[in-house]
Amino acid sequence: MTTGGDARPPRWAEGVLRSMLASEHRDNVSGDLLEEYRTTIVPARGPSAADRWYRRQVAGFVWRATWPWALLFSGAFVVRQAFDFFVPTHDFYFRSLLTTYTAVALLAATSLWSAWRSGSFVAGVLVTVVMTQIAAVLSVLGVSLLLAIWHDSATMKAAADSGGVAEAYVLPFMAVIPALIVGTVAGAIGSVSRRLFSAGTAR
Amino acid sequence: MAEVLGAFEQAVLLAVVRLRDGAYGRAILKEVQSRLDRDVAAGAVHATLERLERKGLVASRLGSGTPVRAGRPRRYYRLQPAGIRALNEAREAVDTLWAGLKWPLIKGRGIA
Repeated sequence: MTTGGDARPPRWAEGVLRSMLASEHRDNVSGDLLEEYRTTIVPARGPSAADRWYRRQVAGFVWRATWPWALLFSGAFVVRQAFDFFVPTHDFYFRSLLTTYTAVALLAATSLWSAWRSGSFVAGVLVTVVMTQIAAVLSVLGVSLLLAIWHDSATMKAAADSGGVAEAYVLPFMAVIPALIVGTVAGAIGSVSRRLFSAGTAR
Repeated sequence: MAEVLGAFEQAVLLAVVRLRDGAYGRAILKEVQSRLDRDVAAGAVHATLERLERKGLVASRLGSGTPVRAGRPRRYYRLQPAGIRALNEAREAVDTLWAGLKWPLIKGRGIA
């Protein structure tokens, strides 16, 4: 039987976990996970399976931090697609402007909130990037559902005129690029404001 | 009226009651897993404890660290009066719903 007394979980996973947690819970929660990893999981399952267990636990924390934002982000995308499919137009300027501002606002809010909560710039960027990819999967599912229910010729023509169905499936994944940019700026603002606020309240 | 509790919140609060002075994150996780007889994610218990503390149903304090935790402190939870009220009301609601019925339900014994 393997003993887990000084075993260490994957460093990157522990780093991700600690950056995601609210600062006041960072040490006790990562300590709980480390204690369980060393005293129960490694002795019972061995180091490799224990590392997988640890990664799964961290993924659970990441999922909890990202899914509400992902739902909002994909919801905005699917609503925009629904408008393009069912209320066709030739002038996309206003819709594009509205969608872009909404997306940027959601990316900024995700990063700001995550960085403020954890006091960690990394958390802001990480949550925002992961959120866009979960949102992309949800968006693809949403658009597929729309087209599965309504695929008459008028809807398919409107879809083609608005950029094509392929674009609706690819575009959500491309949000990772603005997520990196907006997430970096908002994450920096969020983490610095948190530190300034904490320093102010400690005085 | 006290806070309406979900089933998982009840499981976490009852674990805090059972563990008394030993109610910290990992112990609560193991107690909940054992009572529910299934694997439970640490993140789910942590998020629930955070929510219950925000609602004022539990309070927490930091304890000391141990070498196996790399010196990181334990956070101990204890039930607050609002938590006791919420648990009592949750139990009362279930008892009221079941009043007059024999348990366990068996098909044919008064059930169509």
